[in-house]
Amino acid sequence: MNYAEKFKEMNDKGFTWGQASAEANRCLLCYDPPCSKGCPAQTDPGTFIRKLRLQNVTGAVRTIKENNILGGSCGILCPTPLLCELECSATEIDRPIQIGKIQRFLVQHSWETGFKVFEKPKADKGRVAVVGSGPAGLSCAAELAKDGYSVTIFEARPKPGGVLAYGVPAYRLPEDFFAIDLKDITDLGVEIKCNAPVDKKGGAEDLLKEGYGAVFLAPGLWEPIRLRENSENIEGVFTATEFLAAMREGKYEEFGAGIAGGNIAVIGGGSVAIDSAETAKRLGAKDVYLVYRRSFKQMPSEEGERVEALKEGIHFLLLNQPVDFVAENGKLKGLKVVRTKLGEKDYSGRRRPVEIPGSEWVIDADVVIEAIGSKAVENSTDWYPSVKTNAKKYIEIDKETGATSVNLLMVFLRAAILYEDRLWLWKPCRMVKSLRVP
Amino acid sequence: MGRSGIQNSCNGDRLPIIHPSPRMHGYHYGNKRLVGLQNVEQTSDRGFKANLLDIMYLKKHYPDHIVMASIMGFSNREWYDLAKAVTGAGADMIELNFSCPHMTVEGSGAKVGQVQELVQKFTETVRKASDLPLVAKMTPNITDINEPALYAKMGGANGISAINTVRGISEIGLDDFVPKPNVFGKGAISGYSGPAVKPIGLRFIAEMALNKELGLPLSGIGGIETWIDALEYLLAGATTIQVTTGIIHYGYRIVEDMIEGLSDFMMSKGIEKVADLVGRALPHLVETDEFDLKRQGITNYDLDRCVGCGQCYIVCNDSAGQALEWDSEKRRPKLIEDKCLSCMVCSFVCPVDGLITYREMPSTWKRRETETLGRELQSRLKL
Ligand SMILES: Cc1cc2nc3c(=O)[nH]c(=O)nc-3n(C[C@H](O)[C@H](O)[C@H](O)COP(=O)(O)OP(=O)(O)OC[C@H]3O[C@@H](n4cnc5c(N)ncnc54)[C@H](O)[C@@H]3O)c2cc1C
Ligand SMILES: Cc1cc2nc3c(=O)[nH]c(=O)nc-3n(C[C@H](O)[C@H](O)[C@H](O)COP(=O)(O)O)c2cc1C
Ligand code: SF4
Ligand code: SF4
Ligand code: SF4
Repeated sequence: MNYAEKFKEMNDKGFTWGQASAEANRCLLCYDPPCSKGCPAQTDPGTFIRKLRLQNVTGAVRTIKENNILGGSCGILCPTPLLCELECSATEIDRPIQIGKIQRFLVQHSWETGFKVFEKPKADKGRVAVVGSGPAGLSCAAELAKDGYSVTIFEARPKPGGVLAYGVPAYRLPEDFFAIDLKDITDLGVEIKCNAPVDKKGGAEDLLKEGYGAVFLAPGLWEPIRLRENSENIEGVFTATEFLAAMREGKYEEFGAGIAGGNIAVIGGGSVAIDSAETAKRLGAKDVYLVYRRSFKQMPSEEGERVEALKEGIHFLLLNQPVDFVAENGKLKGLKVVRTKLGEKDYSGRRRPVEIPGSEWVIDADVVIEAIGSKAVENSTDWYPSVKTNAKKYIEIDKETGATSVNLLMVFLRAAILYEDRLWLWKPCRMVKSLRVP
Repeated sequence: MGRSGIQNSCNGDRLPIIHPSPRMHGYHYGNKRLVGLQNVEQTSDRGFKANLLDIMYLKKHYPDHIVMASIMGFSNREWYDLAKAVTGAGADMIELNFSCPHMTVEGSGAKVGQVQELVQKFTETVRKASDLPLVAKMTPNITDINEPALYAKMGGANGISAINTVRGISEIGLDDFVPKPNVFGKGAISGYSGPAVKPIGLRFIAEMALNKELGLPLSGIGGIETWIDALEYLLAGATTIQVTTGIIHYGYRIVEDMIEGLSDFMMSKGIEKVADLVGRALPHLVETDEFDLKRQGITNYDLDRCVGCGQCYIVCNDSAGQALEWDSEKRRPKLIEDKCLSCMVCSFVCPVDGLITYREMPSTWKRRETETLGRELQSRLKL
């Protein structure tokens, strides 16, 4: 079987009608529902679960879609145990309601039954351009389209979706599922131009001259942070960004060859690291090491996905700080790490890893995947030279309106290149709540 | 305590019986399956001979168990022949089905049960044909069940069983507007059974048990699934119980649980015979005007166990005494005692068992008068 099919087979099919209604029947239908307060995207699970319970299924879908156009994908990808489900009153009875799964079910159910929440809105308020078709750009575009604007998204890559199309592994977010989520947006009249980077000098500002009443920037953070400089020259070292994107582009065989049967080390403790480690395992790696400098509890990824990874046989190498690569003739041999212990708390409130002197050792590795974060693309400031940015190349904005220093050039709040941590999908989904066209 | 067999009411072969198809519809509530069952079955569609052979087979292999043959005739003559035949086949008792609510033939099923004279006449006929104990099965689709029961007694019945199914419409198709079961585009008001009808069955059994003039042993039927259901029928006055939908839903294995559960209950209460349970609820059953209205109470909240769902607050506010305040910080209800109506609605929705209970208040305690919305209107209208 080829990898594409194998990955597809791993897709969780989601709840059936019976499972969803049984779960909705467990819901306590809380007053002033804590789950809704716990949903940062304001999708309002308390309301849509009640609607499902009272057989108002179309209404439940309407609640989701009106509040969060990417509600389907959020249902699959949101770290619900840290958000809505963390607040759920049913936890004290036995366990939280599986809110994400109900949400996904409802959206999927609406597709299967052909129920559409939105009619195509009248576009009579002028043109708006959006740069980037990730969750931020898409939510923004949908919101503007509903509001009566004709929206064009400029996307650099061949496929729309940003991280949802080039990051999140296909076994977690089924491709056909996201395609329908996306169609709900294009059905609103949003036009998506792919292979259309806005990366010429002043390109974003030029759009304003080309007749767009406003421009929203949502290009994401695509410059991987690296362990050290020039590592791209070592054969066998990849960034998670390129590795996961290659998977979504179907380059399974190309990467699989180097990974199947080999020793793989993944650096990092976040979701992206887990995705990379699991993908490597699924490509047939013999041993996959997740190398993280702090302890299990401090890993930023969801606990559930960490436990899943452990169960799949991924080795967690905790309290080990990667320091360098070991290479011979430009080919990777191993990853040099140093053992750490936990010291005082740092700015993040987590105990800081302190290297233990003289404890270096080398993990034999055929491939190392770096998943230690990403930042704004190097030359991104050139796309909008008149816009004020800070030292980290993040655009300075009005926190209320998302306006940049250039009139009509917007970044809606901390979305897009602004976020310093773009850990979760709900962030851009929430940003749109404060969306305003000046 | 033991089990005995009973079958689909049989009839003679003169009128061929063909069941509609599909013949049943399951009524589900939320994720609880089969809280009710609707059926449009006619009597047994098997040949009469086959039914007789079954009775003989059962008596041969299980001679110690009671076999009760259920019969339903369409004419005086047929009742007679049926009774004779099942007696000859070795049945221990005969049940006369006067109560199938959806028979299509005039003078059969509930159509008989609703005409007292026919009940008496057919019972007399069967009495002439057989010396076996006769149990007349009553329909609940009637106001006073004692009337036909007394006519059955006059006709010679030795016991009464009740209830047969309740005439109902369990659901209607949303795409075709056809009531279910949908028999090729048509539905019918027909027999509804299962847990949903238990309160109706208990009521009819108790009413007959309280009727001194009737004074016949009663067989309780309707929505029995567990030993508790069975026990309640005994307490209401039944001496035996019967199960149909429960068996359809779970199979015969539930009989084991009824026997074991009831035996253990009796052990724990020191009750030796099932007979000692029969009718034990009846002395406590009164008309509502006999309640002692001086004694009043309110709810008691064991808030240590509260999970903060706020359902009590919603129902009390929207459908009861508005006796609760809501602490949105702590997510806890607070009871304003003198506003509580003791409707107990909050305790029905609270997901924590036994958190909200009833407590009697001292005789000096007084409930606050309910407020009206239009105070100002009231004074203007000088009400
Ligand atoms: C591997 C991975 C797994 C993740 N898993 C989860 C998860 O399970 N749950 C969760 O909640 N979050 C998850 N996230 C985070 C989540 O995906 C991000 O928060 C989200 O995608 C950010 O959305 P965005 O639209 O700002 O950026 P992106 O998704 O990065 O989209 C930006 C888009 O802009 C385009 N672009 C960039 N520059 C230009 C230009 N100059 N011109 C035109 N187009 C341009 C890019 O090609 C891209 O399509 C994950 C992230 C990664 C990387
Ligand atoms: C499918 C079905 C067929 C029935 N057929 C008969 C019958 O032939 N004769 C009869 O006296 N009662 C018949 N009944 C009624 C049951 O015996 C019983 O009185 C009624 O369903 C209530 O009890 P329950 O809730 O245990 O089912 C039938 C009920 C069902 C559900
Ligand atoms: S908090 Fe949990 S139980 Fe309460 S409404 Fe939300 S999902 Fe239901
Ligand atoms: S018993 Fe009725 S009135 Fe009293 S607190 Fe409960 S719901 Fe309110
Ligand atoms: S219904 Fe019960 S659990 Fe919920 S808030 Fe009220 S008392 Fe607490």
